[in-house]
Amino acid sequence: MRLRRLLVVAVAALVAGVGGAAIGAHSGESTPGPAPVAAGVPQPVAPAFTPGHPEPLRAAPYRSSYAPVRVAAVARSAPDPGARVVARVDATTPEDTTNIVLVLGRRADRSGRLWVKVRLATLPNSRTGWLPRSTLGGYGSVDTRLVVDLRRLTATLMRRGRPIFRARVGVGRPQWPTPRGEFYVRNRLTKFAGPTYGPLAFGTSARSTHLTDWPDGGFIGIHGTDEPQLLPGRVSHGCIRMRNADILRLARLMPIGTPLTIA
Amino acid sequence: MTGEPTLRLQDVDRDEALLEAVAELHGDTRADFLRTAVIGSGVLLAALAAPPAASAAVSDTQILTFGLRFERLQASFYTEADRVGTVGKMDPRKQRWAEVLGEHERAHVRIIKKILGRKAGKRPFFDFHGVTESEDSFTRTTVAMEDLTVALLAGVTPRVHDRRLTAALFGLLTTEARHAAWARNIVNSTPAVRSFDEPRSLSDVSRTVAHTHFIAAAPKMTRKRRKPGFTG
Repeated sequence: MRLRRLLVVAVAALVAGVGGAAIGAHSGESTPGPAPVAAGVPQPVAPAFTPGHPEPLRAAPYRSSYAPVRVAAVARSAPDPGARVVARVDATTPEDTTNIVLVLGRRADRSGRLWVKVRLATLPNSRTGWLPRSTLGGYGSVDTRLVVDLRRLTATLMRRGRPIFRARVGVGRPQWPTPRGEFYVRNRLTKFAGPTYGPLAFGTSARSTHLTDWPDGGFIGIHGTDEPQLLPGRVSHGCIRMRNADILRLARLMPIGTPLTIA
Repeated sequence: MTGEPTLRLQDVDRDEALLEAVAELHGDTRADFLRTAVIGSGVLLAALAAPPAASAAVSDTQILTFGLRFERLQASFYTEADRVGTVGKMDPRKQRWAEVLGEHERAHVRIIKKILGRKAGKRPFFDFHGVTESEDSFTRTTVAMEDLTVALLAGVTPRVHDRRLTAALFGLLTTEARHAAWARNIVNSTPAVRSFDEPRSLSDVSRTVAHTHFIAAAPKMTRKRRKPGFTG
């Protein structure tokens, strides 16, 4: 008799639970409060977190990639081990930073070996070449682009296609012109012995076409100055000079690997 | 490791981000051991997945930090495969699969980062050595990566002290198990190989994982330079 009573209670509890679940299922989100649960049946432990809704990868039309050079290699004119050598690419820069190259494309050769088309930091300026994927490290990416206008003497940093920084600049004198073309920012230097470069300098892949015997290859930098009164103007050996406050502001906004257009 | 390159953890984990996480979980001695362990070997993968010996010393935060590193690795892997165009070239069925898994992993990263706050640390620098750049290597590596994540979560979840965090990690674990099954289906492999998933038995995926799960040293792109050589 006692067993029968217990069974009745258990069945009643189950019915109440199922009924409750059914009510919850029919009424959907409009039902206030938690769904009824049979006495003695524990609720699931509430998780400490639940991930938000998955979001598709956003289109990134302004994104560009760079890669560090892992081992010294030769860049070739085509993705083919027999193609003409266009440049030797070192793993470090003259400033002793990791050498990076701007990634422009990729392709597999006939044997399935991967090659990466890169922008090079060599003369002639804006040159491209192909490196075996195995000579490069992992990809980094940026969504910025720096545009230097040699006629207007301005530098404009774009992020996702929108200007976020603009400053007047000094560029090369007529006898030592700042080279035009497509380049990239490849390192950042600080703590200089003298005030000539200001507090900070960016190294670029651009090289002077006139000062080819300059120490370390005549690379064009973007840096501060101890002669702000000369800006804007055509006052440098080819480098792009900014007021110190401007170069510090730019440093907060511009990551290494940013493509650079000098026009 | 038949015919595949032999890599040690120290070869690829140059900034020791992964070792650091392992050391937090297992103690220095274990990290020293892992330093010489071969990537892809059953020993290493089992060690990574195994619950730590001194579990009482491991905090929930350390476990979550460790989990975040792997979620970041996965999220970056799918994102890179998408960005370099590999996913876009796949047939619609595979494309959908790769996109969904990428979305999930990025959502996992976001929430764990949010939970950890400042303790989340910086995203490591990843070098997938071109694996994301061909459909074949990408899909095969995904199988290994998802299997590994399942084993890791199976290993660490029972060690979590906070029941609510355990519940959350179970939610991740079951999702990752679905990912693993889906990935196996994509490469026409059996989705459920065994009747029980052993957290420590990862030798079946070790060969595929070899030289693909890479955390590398970030390039040094900033220097103190007293006399730069720019033209000025």
